[in-house]
Amino acid sequence: MSATLYAQAIGMCSAVLLLSAVLLVWRRAQAAALPLMSLQGLALAALVGVLGIEAGSPELLALALLVLVFKGIVLPLVLVRSSRGERGGAPLINTATSLIAMAGLTALAYAVSAPLAALGSGPTVQAIPVGIALVLYGFLLLVTGRHAIVQLVGFLVIDNGTSTVAFLSSGGVPIIVELGVVLDVLLVILILYVLTGRIRDEFGATDLDDLTELRD
Amino acid sequence: MIATGLLTQVALLALAIVLALATPVRYRAVLTGPVVAGIGLAGALTGWAALSGAHGSVNVPVTLPLGPVTLAPTPLGGFFMLVIGAVGSVCAVYAIGYVHGPSASKTSWVALATFLTAMQLVPASADVVSFLLAWELMAVTSTVLVLTEHADRPSVRNATLWYASMTQLSFFLLLVGFAILSAQAGSTQFVALRAAEWDSTAANVAFVSLLLGFAAKAGIVPLHVWLPRAHPEAPSHVSALMSAAMVKLGVYGAILVSTEFLVSRTTWWSVLILALGTVSAVYGILQASVASDIKRLLAFSTTENIGLMFLALGAASLLRAYETTAVADVALAACLLLVLAHAAFKTTLFLGAGSILRATGHRDLDLLGGLGSRMPLTSVTFGIGALGAAALPLTIGFVAEWVLLQALIHGAGSHNRILAITMPVAVGAVALTAGLALMTFVKAYGIAFLARPRSEGASRAQESPASMRLALVAGAALVIGLGLVPGLTADIVAVAAGLDGVGSVGLAGVDLPGVSATLDPSLLLLLGIVLALPVVAVSVRNARRRPRRNVDLAWGCGGVRVSPRMQYTATSYAEPLSRIFDDSLRPERDVIVTHSTEARYLVERIQYRQRLSDVFESRLYLPVIATIDRVGAAAKNLQNGKINFYLAYSFVAFLVVLMVVSL
Amino acid sequence: MNGGASVLALIQVLAMAVLTPLLVGLMRQVRARLEGRAGAGVLQPWRDLRKLFAKEPLRAPGISWVQAVGPVVLVVSSLVLCSLIPLVGTVAFPGLPDDLFVVVGVLLIGTVALALVGLDAGSAFGGMGSSRHMTIAALVEPTVLVSIYALSVPIGSSALSRIVDARIQAPASVAAPVSLLAMVSLAIAVIAETSRMPVDNPSTHLELTMVHEAMVLESSGRDLGWLELGSWLRLGALLGLIGTLTVPFGMAVEVAPVPVLVGMLTLAIRLAVLGAVLATVEVFLAKLRLFRVPELLAGSFVLALLAVTASYLTVTV
Repeated sequence: MSATLYAQAIGMCSAVLLLSAVLLVWRRAQAAALPLMSLQGLALAALVGVLGIEAGSPELLALALLVLVFKGIVLPLVLVRSSRGERGGAPLINTATSLIAMAGLTALAYAVSAPLAALGSGPTVQAIPVGIALVLYGFLLLVTGRHAIVQLVGFLVIDNGTSTVAFLSSGGVPIIVELGVVLDVLLVILILYVLTGRIRDEFGATDLDDLTELRD
Repeated sequence: MIATGLLTQVALLALAIVLALATPVRYRAVLTGPVVAGIGLAGALTGWAALSGAHGSVNVPVTLPLGPVTLAPTPLGGFFMLVIGAVGSVCAVYAIGYVHGPSASKTSWVALATFLTAMQLVPASADVVSFLLAWELMAVTSTVLVLTEHADRPSVRNATLWYASMTQLSFFLLLVGFAILSAQAGSTQFVALRAAEWDSTAANVAFVSLLLGFAAKAGIVPLHVWLPRAHPEAPSHVSALMSAAMVKLGVYGAILVSTEFLVSRTTWWSVLILALGTVSAVYGILQASVASDIKRLLAFSTTENIGLMFLALGAASLLRAYETTAVADVALAACLLLVLAHAAFKTTLFLGAGSILRATGHRDLDLLGGLGSRMPLTSVTFGIGALGAAALPLTIGFVAEWVLLQALIHGAGSHNRILAITMPVAVGAVALTAGLALMTFVKAYGIAFLARPRSEGASRAQESPASMRLALVAGAALVIGLGLVPGLTADIVAVAAGLDGVGSVGLAGVDLPGVSATLDPSLLLLLGIVLALPVVAVSVRNARRRPRRNVDLAWGCGGVRVSPRMQYTATSYAEPLSRIFDDSLRPERDVIVTHSTEARYLVERIQYRQRLSDVFESRLYLPVIATIDRVGAAAKNLQNGKINFYLAYSFVAFLVVLMVVSL
Repeated sequence: MNGGASVLALIQVLAMAVLTPLLVGLMRQVRARLEGRAGAGVLQPWRDLRKLFAKEPLRAPGISWVQAVGPVVLVVSSLVLCSLIPLVGTVAFPGLPDDLFVVVGVLLIGTVALALVGLDAGSAFGGMGSSRHMTIAALVEPTVLVSIYALSVPIGSSALSRIVDARIQAPASVAAPVSLLAMVSLAIAVIAETSRMPVDNPSTHLELTMVHEAMVLESSGRDLGWLELGSWLRLGALLGLIGTLTVPFGMAVEVAPVPVLVGMLTLAIRLAVLGAVLATVEVFLAKLRLFRVPELLAGSFVLALLAVTASYLTVTV
């Protein structure tokens, strides 16, 4: 793969990741959750695939397939099933404020990853701020979401962000590590799925404000 | 030899655990007790081998990321293994007859066996990792043992809480200190730590941290608050083990730090040790002299003796810094002799207190009395232990104090102002503690064993079973035996610490050539016997001509009805002292007078209540704990039940980490 | 050397056994005369002992073997004191320790024996006397040790015979300020230890003011005889020590008939003089309240500590 094509491919994948995250926050992560999460998973898989093709490593390609299956298909499906088509309540901060917050977080991500970027050069290193930004957006979703489903989405976004940074900075993680992380995430999602089910049975809705009644 | 000894201990531990878990209650003590005593014996023999110059080590194949785990006792470590092993086997024999109820359970026996093994492995460690592992194992098992009788008394839980917190504080301080030392030396092996060069700030921080950590375990003021709570609440054989063996490991650590790892080139280190020791000695014996609970008295007496050991260590270190090595050697020998002496008499005393508790059901001296005729063997052995604790001649306690005083009075002859002030003050402090210790043990022995019983329990007392008696006799024999042939102990101590100026002379007398002083207690005994012969002869002859006549009532200055309740109690015995020292002790006194209904001049009832608490507890610890409580209560507001807040906390933490890392 | 030292020790013991009751008799006689009474004569203590040994000791219920053994221990410890302290001569056994700390240890054995006899009595007075006695003993010990420590500093050894030897050879050192300070504090300590005025009144009949007398209240017959003799021997030995340290002249430096006789004579003179002085002072002093005694003892401790520091400073200068 030629250098320019490579750089363009990386750039494209990073852009898609970023875009999908912004859309998730803008659309309050409800009805559009499934297609956007799948899009993110797909972009991540593509990123890994491009890295694999460039390095000529079959391991990375196998990893790309793994990421596609899990993050592109399985996890979003579990997500939708746990939401069961519910509409959540309004988030804690309104959309405009969250978009401004996102801008701030992006700037922070770029500032923080400056030392990381100074380590190397090439398109991969310059795309790292994207991964960190993704992590911060995921946190934002977690902190400001009122609906249990929003928190699940936020968690998945964080995971996508950390995977991005890992792949971009090291050129790949051992398949064992990735497998372990994916299984961890799967486990957490399943637990949260069960939990939201129980919360719904108990309260009739998954509004997190109701949970303050549990405090002693 | 050493490797076999260490492995034997572990093997016996495994056997003890199996026996404790597998046998039914009826046979558990009889089967497990001797095995535990065997662990102690194996430890003592290993220690003896290390003292005789044998070299050996056991490398434990544990892959910890911190470093290798080696057990290779030095002569000093061997000395402590000997002491601890001996104490352990005596206590294990005692436990065979003593344990009942919760202390006879599987957990208790397993914990006891593990505790003893861990205590013996600490002096055998040759690197930081094994030291700390054995230390923590010892701490955990001793906490379990202290908690044994928690179902009987609520104070046990309180005591365990104090003990556990102070133990963990001590461990934390040790961890910090050892971490600094290992980082500087580049290795966790003790050999490397002995040879390393230190930069001064790191050395200062490490010294203070390690000293405080070991002082907390040893029971030095102000970190002593757990001792008078935990030792009384534990079962008696455990109290004896903790008081006579475990706190010695704090002293072992302090010796390691000040004479091997961080040899002081600065005076303030030694003065700090000296000061801590002096304050502990005086405060400890003061509290002991006014205590009426016999085990609390013995626990505070432990603080006093540990204070004396630290005093000796501080003096040795100070003198060494001023180049008077001959006298410094004598001071260090005094420290080790005090370790030996304290182990001997404190074991005897605590086991004796256990016998009293078992026979009468009371720990309070105010409810005892007249036990001398009902429990003759316990009375004699406890008396010998008390003689040793009061440092009277012919006991090992006296020898230890004599050596200490010789070191102190010869120490200041080197034209040095600091020594000219600290040594006399130290002598005065030692003399004061000796005087108060005398009073304390006269009180303890006299009130418990003489005169008439002050309660039902005391009047129904019976002598203890055979294994307890055997252990008591062993302890008392050590107190007197070692005291009559101190030359042997002086030789052992000289080998243990590599000292030149200490040795034996004549029929096993102690010789201190460095300060030209000798002590031969056996000659003193001989003189006493020679002079006693005519007196005893006259007495016996007189007894035949004028035999003793029994009467119904004591004279009592003409008071006809003198009930046992009118005798002096332990509280009243110590009352003048508590009044003289009430600034330091701060007792709370309540006198409630109920007048007769007919006339205010007549008194129907007077109630006197006195409460003596530990000043450090009420002035230092309780305010600190109250502050922590308040901060904790304020922090509860952080826990408002909103998940978003909790997630925000981790978000903020993540942001902070990012920013710190990138800077 | 060894034989000579044993002979000297034996002579000291016998001399003190004979002299101390006379000393006590002398003190009582001086006091009586000063108070305008005729007195019972110097030989009265011997007559008292003879009377006591002719009576039966009584045993009340609850009293144990301590009542019989304690007095014997007290007497034996006092006799050992008499043999260790240099009273007639300064020849010591090479191996036998006449070390200061050993002497104090032996003294304390006697103290403990007396205290236990008091506690064994099982009455409130015995306990009270025992408690006060031990409190005073605890507070006196620092003073005794530190004051003799002050005297030992110039010599470099804590062996009493060597201290006295040095003072014989350099008579001027007796009048040195360090020595005077140490002697004053030692004198106060000895008064407290032997239960004389102003710490305790040996001839009181009020039980609430007793310290020593309260402990021997329940003893009778030979027990009381031994207790009295033991206390007198202690008093004699300690007064003899003060005399030896203050006026060391005339002590035997070798074991030969003439020096020993001279030594015994000077011992008798010293004891007589000190006893008379003490008795005279007692007539004019009132007994201190028990809780004023610690102040007195603290004062003497401070004097002793000053003596030690002064002795170091004179050495360093």
